[in-house]
Amino acid sequence: MKTITQHLRGAAVALALAAPLAASAADVTLLNVSYDPTRELYQDFNAAFSKYWKAKTGDNVTIKTSHGGSGKQGRAIIDGLEADVATLALAYDIDALYEKGKLIPKDWQKRLPHNSSPYTSTIVFLVRKGNPKNIKDWDDIARPGISVVTPNPKTSGGARWNYLAAWAYGQRKFNNDEGKTRDFIGKILKNVPVLDSGARGATTTFVERGIGDVLLAWENEAFLAQKELGPDKFEIVVPSLSILAEPPVTVVDKVVNKRGTRAVADAYLQYLYTEEGQEIAAKNYYRPTLESVAKKYEKNFPKLNLVTVDSEFGGWQKAQKTHFADGGTFDQIYLK
Amino acid sequence: MQFKINKITSALVASGLLLATHSAFAGDPDIEALRQTILDLDQKIKVLERKNEIAAEEAAAKKKETPVVVAGPTGFGIKSADGQFEYSLKGLIQLDYRHFDKPDHTTSADDGFTARRIRPTFQGTLFGKYDFRITPEFGETANNNATTSPSQNISRVIDAYVDARFDPAFKIRAGKFKPFVGLERLQGGGDIKFIERSYVSNNFLPNRGLGASIYGDVLDSKVSYAVGVFNGTADGGEETTRIDADNDKDYTARIFTTPFKGSDSVLEGLGFGIAGTYTDSATGALPSYKAPSQQLNFFTYNTGTVGDGSRVRVSPQAYYYYGPFGVIAEYARTSQEVRNAANTVNDTLKNDAWQIAASWVLTGEDASFKSVKPKNPFETGKDGWGAWELVARYQENSIDSSAFGTATTGVAARFANPTTSAKEAKTWGVGVNWYLNQWVRLATNYEQTKFDGGAGTFANIRDREDERILFSRLQFQF
Repeated sequence: MKTITQHLRGAAVALALAAPLAASAADVTLLNVSYDPTRELYQDFNAAFSKYWKAKTGDNVTIKTSHGGSGKQGRAIIDGLEADVATLALAYDIDALYEKGKLIPKDWQKRLPHNSSPYTSTIVFLVRKGNPKNIKDWDDIARPGISVVTPNPKTSGGARWNYLAAWAYGQRKFNNDEGKTRDFIGKILKNVPVLDSGARGATTTFVERGIGDVLLAWENEAFLAQKELGPDKFEIVVPSLSILAEPPVTVVDKVVNKRGTRAVADAYLQYLYTEEGQEIAAKNYYRPTLESVAKKYEKNFPKLNLVTVDSEFGGWQKAQKTHFADGGTFDQIYLK
Repeated sequence: MQFKINKITSALVASGLLLATHSAFAGDPDIEALRQTILDLDQKIKVLERKNEIAAEEAAAKKKETPVVVAGPTGFGIKSADGQFEYSLKGLIQLDYRHFDKPDHTTSADDGFTARRIRPTFQGTLFGKYDFRITPEFGETANNNATTSPSQNISRVIDAYVDARFDPAFKIRAGKFKPFVGLERLQGGGDIKFIERSYVSNNFLPNRGLGASIYGDVLDSKVSYAVGVFNGTADGGEETTRIDADNDKDYTARIFTTPFKGSDSVLEGLGFGIAGTYTDSATGALPSYKAPSQQLNFFTYNTGTVGDGSRVRVSPQAYYYYGPFGVIAEYARTSQEVRNAANTVNDTLKNDAWQIAASWVLTGEDASFKSVKPKNPFETGKDGWGAWELVARYQENSIDSSAFGTATTGVAARFANPTTSAKEAKTWGVGVNWYLNQWVRLATNYEQTKFDGGAGTFANIRDREDERILFSRLQFQF
């Protein structure tokens, strides 16, 4: 009868024999679950990373992407969508992967530079050519008769950035009078004829369906719309104040551990911070965080007064609870 | 309506009419107001259309995620939208009436009603490839095939197992389940043609085992195989879910082929194979063999006689279905090493049983290994009369003659008493099944059994009284 030691020895020999076979395994797939407007960014980035990874390791990596409203995408991961990496619109949606699914560690945001946000963006206005309704700032979109297109903050990360940017403007305009700020936000929401679930859907509503006078949009999405459809159709209006949007990224630890894809998933996200990754982000109208690349593309991005979620709202956890949780200010104002 | 207005508006805009009007009548407040009204109307229509579009997209997305609830002929259940997860409730209820022509064997052979099987089944699939099934039994008997009263009611879990379907050719089943051995045993309790199974199933081959099997279908599903290991049980017995009584295991194997499956040959419905079990135990429990009524043990080993050594069961088996006609045939032999109570005599006993049963569906439906599905279900006030089926069976159960003590050797010198246990049972039976629909069935069987020995004295061993039974059954299965 074989002893346990003999069995273990046999297993070790089998593993040693199998190791060269495993080492020659060359096809890897990753799933990047992202938010709505990053389609073009990750299409370019995935191709560049695959090339880089092939050159570095000899492995073929195929990256699949899934796009949708950021909150919705986060919930899909918690519900079992096997994302190797999550690249969502805001930190709260990634926090939920820890809070509700224990899929990542609590301190996930400390694992990569810039609080795990390799690129930033902000919120601007996209208006029709000639700006026929003369929209210049947040006051203008609260005017009666202005039709405003923005997605639903319950499902869209972009919409939450829009909402908070408008709120920050209102607080300043009305000297932190919350009642007046609520009225101001109420006037804007009253001008919204349709709530899409994600930022890309809102762009479709405004650009392709011809609805509304102004689209509250990610800066990158506004530039992209202008590029795709021509500057003769749309103009970008930069408000006097907006918000610094920091879309974060993370490896989904439980998934990569299960699938054995941690090394390539880590490398994928780290590659976003390299010069090439930052160049791709900048070319897709995301603001790069790498100094050298940011300087190179600074002309492309208008300078404006930006608040942050941390300084203005006490971080995403607090902002979410105050404004977007069930019964928060959005519900109170929109459902009134 | 919205579509028409939208079209008109679009046409006006496209043709430049509004713009032309705007130029020609610039400054005319009425025209300007009209123009603005049309543009506002256009926006409203677009918003309505977009809302509908979003609602449709959301509905389509929701549909992809919404579980499907099923309530139909195959039972009740719920299934995830992607089909990867499924839970269902099924059930089998059999209510019998048993009439004995001469209920003179034992007190448990009285006429009366009995709930033969009451089995709710919870079954499902997880992650698309792992199936589970849990079936409690609240019906009549404990199928331990031991010397305790066969009509003892013991509610218990009769099936509880998990299947892992890695590949059609490689599946694993673990838990308490029917070992892949007996052909008729592998028919569902609601699909068997007679009210009770034959001697081969009830007295020889294992009923339920606790263990694991590897099984699968190969060669275009024309050959199925199974090998398994179980705690082990006496002939015809059902293992409990408790721990094993000894360290010895039962090993099972079966291969079955349907070589003409999928062809248009008259042999398309032919299947045949062979199965067997093996164990080697120094303390093996021995069975008692039941008469067809399932209420009478016609053969019982002497108290203290045990299995001591190997037990080998071999069972060739076959079925054939052609149109409304079906036949099933099965043989089983158990070679069991035994030791008498005094530990003075060891021997190998070879007991065997066989059956051949035929069925014919009068109403023209196809016969099969499963229940008959009526073409025209019975409904009062309508033409359908369901499906009617005639069945006939002959079966025998023989005990090795060297099992019995004689007047010369005495009972204790061997393993059984010929004045209380019969050496042979021969049974013929006929029956009719009325399938009102695919869920409800009425059945009546008449069976008559002649015994060889089992009564009298050593000086004058007589045959036991014939058993003549008329069984009726009302069955609900969903």
